[in-house]
Amino acid sequence: MSIIKTFKSSAWLGWEMESNWANPFLFALYSIARPIAGIFLVVLMYWFIDAPENLFALMFVGSVFYMYIFNVLFGVSWVIQEDREHYKVLKYIFMAPSNIYFYLLGRAFSKTIITTFAVLITLLFGALVLNVNIIFDKPLFFLLSFILGIIGIAAFGIIMAGISLLLVRHNFYIGESLAGVFYLFCGVIFPLSVLPSWGQSLSKLLPMTYWLEATRRSLLGFGDSSLEGVTDLQIFRNLLMFGIGFLILSLISFKYCTDLAKKRGILDMTTWH
Amino acid sequence: MYGVYYYSFKLLIEFNAMPTLAIEIKNLTRYFETGKDTVKALDGVNLQIRTGELFGLLGSNGSGKTTLIKILCTLLYPTSGEAFVSGINVVKEPEKIRGKINMVAGEETSGYGILTVRENIWLFSQLYGIESGLAKKRIDALLKLLGLTKRAHTRIHKISTGERQKMNLCRGLVTDPDVLFLDEPTVGVDVNSGRTIRDYLLKWMKNNGKTVLLTTHNMVEAEEICDRVAIIDKGKILALDTPSNLKQMLNNEIILELETNIIKNLSLKYEFSKVDNHEKNTSNLRFLLKDESAVPDIISELSEKDVKIKSLYKSEPTLEDIFIKLVGRNINE
Amino acid sequence: MNNFERNLRAIYARAYVRIAGTNRELSWIFFTVFLPLLGISAYIYVYKATADPEILNSLLTRVIIGGATLAFWMNVLWGMGNTFYWEKEQGNLDLFFMAPISRTSILLGMALGGMFSTSVRALATIFLGALIFKISFTLESPLLLIATFLLTMIALYGLGMLFASLFLMYGRGSWHVTNLLQEPIFLLSGFYFPIKFLGFHIAFIASIIPLSLGLDSMNQLIGGNFAQEWALMPLKIELLALGILSVLFFYLAIKSLDYMENLAKKEGRLTLKYL
Repeated sequence: MSIIKTFKSSAWLGWEMESNWANPFLFALYSIARPIAGIFLVVLMYWFIDAPENLFALMFVGSVFYMYIFNVLFGVSWVIQEDREHYKVLKYIFMAPSNIYFYLLGRAFSKTIITTFAVLITLLFGALVLNVNIIFDKPLFFLLSFILGIIGIAAFGIIMAGISLLLVRHNFYIGESLAGVFYLFCGVIFPLSVLPSWGQSLSKLLPMTYWLEATRRSLLGFGDSSLEGVTDLQIFRNLLMFGIGFLILSLISFKYCTDLAKKRGILDMTTWH
Repeated sequence: MYGVYYYSFKLLIEFNAMPTLAIEIKNLTRYFETGKDTVKALDGVNLQIRTGELFGLLGSNGSGKTTLIKILCTLLYPTSGEAFVSGINVVKEPEKIRGKINMVAGEETSGYGILTVRENIWLFSQLYGIESGLAKKRIDALLKLLGLTKRAHTRIHKISTGERQKMNLCRGLVTDPDVLFLDEPTVGVDVNSGRTIRDYLLKWMKNNGKTVLLTTHNMVEAEEICDRVAIIDKGKILALDTPSNLKQMLNNEIILELETNIIKNLSLKYEFSKVDNHEKNTSNLRFLLKDESAVPDIISELSEKDVKIKSLYKSEPTLEDIFIKLVGRNINE
Repeated sequence: MNNFERNLRAIYARAYVRIAGTNRELSWIFFTVFLPLLGISAYIYVYKATADPEILNSLLTRVIIGGATLAFWMNVLWGMGNTFYWEKEQGNLDLFFMAPISRTSILLGMALGGMFSTSVRALATIFLGALIFKISFTLESPLLLIATFLLTMIALYGLGMLFASLFLMYGRGSWHVTNLLQEPIFLLSGFYFPIKFLGFHIAFIASIIPLSLGLDSMNQLIGGNFAQEWALMPLKIELLALGILSVLFFYLAIKSLDYMENLAKKEGRLTLKYL
């Protein structure tokens, strides 16, 4: 089966699974309400302590785009869990002539699209209701860094999906935990200068830090003060390495994990308790 | 001596206390709303199953077998009508029935993959309040009888389908139910395992005065082990009797079987069923005829269509023939 | 065997599944102990970046207590509320509902089974959080704190049972609605900021969620003067309200479970998969 067909059909499947539990109106309401409610926790924390506007704006953009990190990275690794334990179709997907790697990429793509709706709605809400000043004066920089970031995040999700094949249900925790690492060390909701020095050093090694920084610079016109010395070009270079590097790594690691799962005979194990 | 009298008297009381009818169904109907349509899964079903009987329910997919079992297992309400298990109304007093029944379905996926065979059976025994010591004894005995002792400590995500089904049967029997519902229990199970399950069931029933309601596609299974069989189609009971009496319905009729060269499309004046054997490159045609006078016509018609007959023989009607006669199609259609 | 004993066995058996299952892969210790701390640390750093140093300890205490309680909330929501849905999909629900036990036994068994790993997560959050971020707790009455916590949990688990009855009937739709409700409940429960900040009236309505009152009470007992200044209601009233909520939620849960089960059986949805 061609790669494109696999990709298209799995993207369609992902969309159906996310949306067909409710009528379109209810789904639209859910798609709007959920992301806004998600952001509001941190918004209220910032309001409670009356934080400065620029910090609030940084936090807002970081929280909004973090949705991609959580939904795509965690979501892709969750596909293995769902298809194996719940729908019990994983073995059939592996048996099919289509490449499961592209099946997962298709699922990542549908999650990206669904998340994009949520991101756009929330950005609009922020601009109109929360008075976040979005200027969007670097569209090309934004587009290129966004695409590279998403590729890297999806690839990371596939690496986690491979690891999920080898683990019991705790693969749920892997996704959640990694999301926690990025939430803490990529300056999503607070400036990086607050972290201890080792934390700041670690954050500068994480590609998501630069992805969020690129997004902030493009949308707000400024970024995290800890990264003032890093130019747009350096950020772009880091993201290029991230995107391509993780893509290659995901191909290798997913194959390795799949082979290992087949050797151990655990490809279709059910471990729900 | 007094002990003997007492024990006999006790048995007599218990025997008399046992309802004569294990299952009684009165005009049971069940509709399902599926958005656009309404599906009638059961249509005025009446049935009485005696205590100690192994009762078979034969029907194709969608005939209402599983719906009937679910109602009797208190998992589904009927739309109208009544059903009783051990004399207790399944809708009005379901909690009184639950301790007396159990169900095993074919290709059942219940259980927890991370637990062992023994642990899974133990878990379900505890839901019926069986003391651990007694549960252990029963589980040991059942595992031995069904050949699962060596797999007792294996996590169930590592066992085969046949072993899983045997484990499911252990789960159904460990609670020692008065009435056991078996919904196609040998589906997906190899021939030997299927035979083991059937043999064990017969032994279990005979020794303990238990009742089994078995739904199956497997005509041979139904003929071999069922005391009585009901044929159900589109929610209605079409026939109900012992297998031999049912076959008597076709006593005057003849089964004609022909082996021919392999035929792709064939239509004849007389109705028939066809099974192709691609290994031998032959087709097996089967006719249910009122009398032998049709035989020359059939042969002549086949000859005109250049069909080469390799062998020809008459046989006795089977339950499958009854089914086709009553329902108008094969059980697998 | 009487009903009570049988239900106790059912609780034990279902809890066993969860405990045995969890302990068969010890990687859970790492994930449960260390990694949830990361998310909580992020909220700690939000306050460290922006809050007045005088009230910082109180705010950080609130975050730690909120984070620890979050573990129980997640257990209630996904380990209990959602479980009937997953059991149905696994093919176990039929067998549970056929057995001569109450539905609440199954739910209690699941909740208790998950309690061990949840408690480990909560305690690790508190101890490690306090150690790493040098948070000091102003604990005047430890017994009262434990009692408050237990009362909150009872009310919370009652609420979880109520959710479970919805999952019984509505399956995947309930899953999405619960997902949707997660964040508003975080907001309205005051996990990371005092609910009084939402305005008394909103906070009062929010106090129908056991977590709101529970967290507010626990912060009053452990968070020092600043927490007491931002308390929604006096401690005694909050504890009384929690007691009422406990009884109310259990009562509603039992009624709702019965009602939903009957409705599901009428509509033929009880054993329908992929709903």
